[in-house]
Amino acid sequence: MASSLPRRILKETQRLAADPVPGISANADESNARYFHVMIAGPEDSPFAGGVFKLELFLPEEYPMAAPKVRFMTKIYHPNIDKLGRICLDILKDKWSPALQIRTVLLSIQALLSAPNPEDPLATDVAEQWKANEAEAIKTAKQWTLAYARKSLKKALLHQHCLVLAPTKIIET
Amino acid sequence: MSSSSSQTKAPNEEPTSSSNKPNADETARFECNICLDAAKDAVVSLCGHLFCWPCLSQWLDTRPNNQVCPVCKSAIDGSKVVPIYGRGGDSADPRSKIPPRPKGTRSEPPPQSFGGFNWGDGLNGPNVHFSFGIGIFPLSFVASFFGNGNANNAENGQNGAGAQQQGGSSRADGTAPGSRMAGEEEYLANIFKYVGIFLLVWLLFV
Repeated sequence: MASSLPRRILKETQRLAADPVPGISANADESNARYFHVMIAGPEDSPFAGGVFKLELFLPEEYPMAAPKVRFMTKIYHPNIDKLGRICLDILKDKWSPALQIRTVLLSIQALLSAPNPEDPLATDVAEQWKANEAEAIKTAKQWTLAYARKSLKKALLHQHCLVLAPTKIIET
Repeated sequence: MSSSSSQTKAPNEEPTSSSNKPNADETARFECNICLDAAKDAVVSLCGHLFCWPCLSQWLDTRPNNQVCPVCKSAIDGSKVVPIYGRGGDSADPRSKIPPRPKGTRSEPPPQSFGGFNWGDGLNGPNVHFSFGIGIFPLSFVASFFGNGNANNAENGQNGAGAQQQGGSSRADGTAPGSRMAGEEEYLANIFKYVGIFLLVWLLFV
């Protein structure tokens, strides 16, 4: 496995460990160096503040020519993230570039938490609510953060063996 | 996005690498933007971004319809990147599966020859009318007479599309339109045209 791993992935993993991004942790899975356990802290200026969101990130065989596959494991009330945790972010789709890295992708997702974009929704019901009554939507997002993103650390630890076994189930979008 | 990534990366890397091993910092500036290794078979895009040729060509192959620079998204053309030749080591690279790195281009100055008498044009062009029996005249005369000026221009390769004239006059070389040369050429071409018409009439009726 490790012998076929491109040097770029090794380098990125090393740099992520040596020089972590504030509020983000990404650790390669022990059995699969292409699968990363990611934690993103909700940005302070957002309704997700105080929560820790668990994500999974998988580097496909074509990486870096194809974008990593990223998914929220923690439930989140956000117009650009659906209930399966799929993320609507252009750099994960057609705007991907091989000059982007795991680090920049996770930074973009962190920025997406700070700036929800209901004009380009993935979860249409959330987006409708966000547009119709933003204050109410933000309140709901805060409630969800308290309800799900507080416990995510403990949950993640409990379910770790499931995560390790499930990399092939990562959504294809 | 990508520019911010390089910006965030640079200040973070510099203190550690410059304090520990200055060599690593130096080579980091010459990392391929795709594989993050020291660029091999290095090419630089016209927007100034450095890549390994194998990395870049692989990326361009995956996006044949939308060829943009991975770093700055400016339009990019695989045949228009500039190879970088350092000292030594270039010939030893195995490039079996990869399309060969594009060659550096040298542009020649435009030729000074007078187009109306450019015999070379007749070698590979559509000027089959050579058998007409008026061989004492230059080939380009025939070309101009039959309105083949465009073909001549295409062969010559030095003319921009703007220099092409659709009319009967042949503009086989790189003379700028409107210049004194161009005026003379047109005048000559007209003379040849009238002589040609006369000859045709003469051939038909005598």
